[in-house]
Amino acid sequence: MAASVDPLVVGRVIGDVLDMFIPTANMSVYFGPKHITNGCEIKPSTAVNPPKVNISGHSDELYTLVMTDPDAPSPSEPNMREWVHWIVVDIPGGTNPSRGKEILPYMEPRPPVGIHRYILVLFRQNSPVGLMVQQPPSRANFSTRMFAGHFDLGLPVATVYFNAQKEPASRRR
Amino acid sequence: MAISMSMAMATPTDSVSRVWSMSSLKSALPSTASLRLPSSSSRRPVTLRLPISSPSLPSFSGLSPVNPLLSIGLPDWQSFENGFKIVDGGGRIYAMRHGRRVPKLNRPPDQRKALLRGLTTQLLKHGRIKTTRARASAMRKFVDKMITLAKDGSLHKRRQALGYIYEKQIVHALFAEVPDRYGERNGGYTRIIRTLPRRGDNAPMAYIELV
Repeated sequence: MAASVDPLVVGRVIGDVLDMFIPTANMSVYFGPKHITNGCEIKPSTAVNPPKVNISGHSDELYTLVMTDPDAPSPSEPNMREWVHWIVVDIPGGTNPSRGKEILPYMEPRPPVGIHRYILVLFRQNSPVGLMVQQPPSRANFSTRMFAGHFDLGLPVATVYFNAQKEPASRRR
Repeated sequence: MAISMSMAMATPTDSVSRVWSMSSLKSALPSTASLRLPSSSSRRPVTLRLPISSPSLPSFSGLSPVNPLLSIGLPDWQSFENGFKIVDGGGRIYAMRHGRRVPKLNRPPDQRKALLRGLTTQLLKHGRIKTTRARASAMRKFVDKMITLAKDGSLHKRRQALGYIYEKQIVHALFAEVPDRYGERNGGYTRIIRTLPRRGDNAPMAYIELV
């Protein structure tokens, strides 16, 4: 019996990756023509290029976007939780991540086994952090909570997640 | 022994004294009660009565509703409310599905078992699978059963798991990691998340994942 109907709680995004937060900003994510809703299924072939993300807010506010996969390498054995795919900081409000500073270049989802969740988290920055942030040593074993705590980003302001699984090599007849 | 045979045929309720006792009840049973009669007969002189009226012996008497008090414990026992249904093996058959909790999944029993075995194998292998809601809710029981077997960890349980899961490596991996992962959790090792229906036939789909 679901204790909550919030899709982020049901999908255990809040819990595995994030803490409970109140969304204060709007973020709409598009992979090509497809709009991302919580829990929708995306094929890795459509996610090769970074998505178009529209962030609400004033242009004097700065935002940070992080995309992680908590189910790496497999949801039954997430040894490398989380695998970070993309980090962009200093995004001015009301624009998209191309106007920010890309700390970690975008890597497309490549789930080897099982169905993985890919979470896009948006934080509001209190101050520009462009110079302090460095690329994490490896993409594996990333912790979004620790990243937010390290740069004093606080709780997220918006989150969306989607599922992806490995596409079959040959088309099903 | 003639006395024990006759006492086996005595009916408890058509005595004048209306003595209900366990020994008199047992004496009405057809077979095994005769072993206990030596002890009970010493306590209750009533059971030593020879039968006077025996045509109300509760044997099969067609489809007429038999007095339920006379037929307790016999294989032809019919329920109070519908005395006209045919009963076999002690199970009741009703026209409606009331109280039947086994999901049939539109398959005969052998196929159903094979489907559930395959689904639990794949869930234990991949950690999260997408399937129809009926199948997801049907397989919860069997996934929990496999994880409980792994929690126990003995050789017998391992062999039982090997008899159910289709792939050996999955069983061995399961037995290796379950004590760490599910040691404190009591039951409820899966989670079902409903999702959008399937395009081809609008079947309601769900993700089922290991918690």
